[in-house]
Amino acid sequence: MSAAKRVQQWATFARTWHVFDCKWQDPYESANIIKKYLMGLHKPIYHPLNDCGDVVVCINSRNIALRGDDWRQRAYFHHTGYPGGASWTLAWELHNKDPTLIIKKAVYRAMKGNLQRRHTMERLFIYPGEHIPAEVQQNVSNQIRQIRRVPERLDHIPEEEVKNFPKVMDYPENYILK
Amino acid sequence: MAALVRAGFLSAKNTVLSTTVRCLSTTKPLRLKEIKEQREGTTLVVEAVTAASPRSELLVRAEKIKDLVPIVTEASAKPCYMCALGLDVKHTDVLILSQFVRTDGCMLPRRITGLCRRQQKKIGKMVSMAQKAGLMINLTPAACKKDPTRRREHKKFNTYFDENTIFMKKIPKPVDRFKR
Repeated sequence: MSAAKRVQQWATFARTWHVFDCKWQDPYESANIIKKYLMGLHKPIYHPLNDCGDVVVCINSRNIALRGDDWRQRAYFHHTGYPGGASWTLAWELHNKDPTLIIKKAVYRAMKGNLQRRHTMERLFIYPGEHIPAEVQQNVSNQIRQIRRVPERLDHIPEEEVKNFPKVMDYPENYILK
Repeated sequence: MAALVRAGFLSAKNTVLSTTVRCLSTTKPLRLKEIKEQREGTTLVVEAVTAASPRSELLVRAEKIKDLVPIVTEASAKPCYMCALGLDVKHTDVLILSQFVRTDGCMLPRRITGLCRRQQKKIGKMVSMAQKAGLMINLTPAACKKDPTRRREHKKFNTYFDENTIFMKKIPKPVDRFKR
């Protein structure tokens, strides 16, 4: 094998580290994206028997957004194994206990339940805030695109821009502004 | 009898609080009608002048846009200005939605917005979506918990909404897509 081919082989099978910003992202939608990078499904060389999955670092998992009433309606089931040991935890209660668990469970459930799943999950790092340990951050070389745009709050937009934004509604003639 | 009393009460209320009386004001820039005082020698002339709307210069209307393809409707019904523009407004477009609310964040009634029924309903729902998501917290009543992170229980976390649910008769329960 020539030196060029050897380097090509290393480059093909090297693990890439991706970072994903979970701010205002739906965990169940982003789990389908994260899953592809974790398993290596985005690579043309993918095969279930070759170890080509990448590493994904999720940041800001505390600021995920659920749709509609999901914080209150979604329940997570746990059973201790003892009689009467069943418990249902609502999504907002689970997020209060551990802000990384919802995204972790979403990615875990998005993958097929086989023997490889637990090993693939080892390659997923989730951090509740923006801070990443330095030994993790030095490996990161790619960013996964967010699915939803982070919405901008009206009080964060400069006042001049709000004032000069094109208007759709105009007041009727005898309207009293309050 | 009750109807008679109600009718009498309404007519009395209308005479007391008629719009002509309420249109007069002393604070100039806040109202569309302003008061001007002029002193000519010993006589004082007070007159109410209709002020120009601060929005009229920035106003976007479908008639003014040349390249816009007009929407197809029945010949009898003229589309309202929002239907004619054909904008795809989301609940995150706070710069548009904030034009339809009062300073306390309440949706304005249809007689003031001048929208059709469907658009009024749609924008009203999107305003409440934006308020629930905490995107317009500077347009809230004074006693309101402004910061979303200071809200209680499930309300303190980020929430987004699907605009397709606005005109659904019954919102379906979330399906578990990962269930096998």
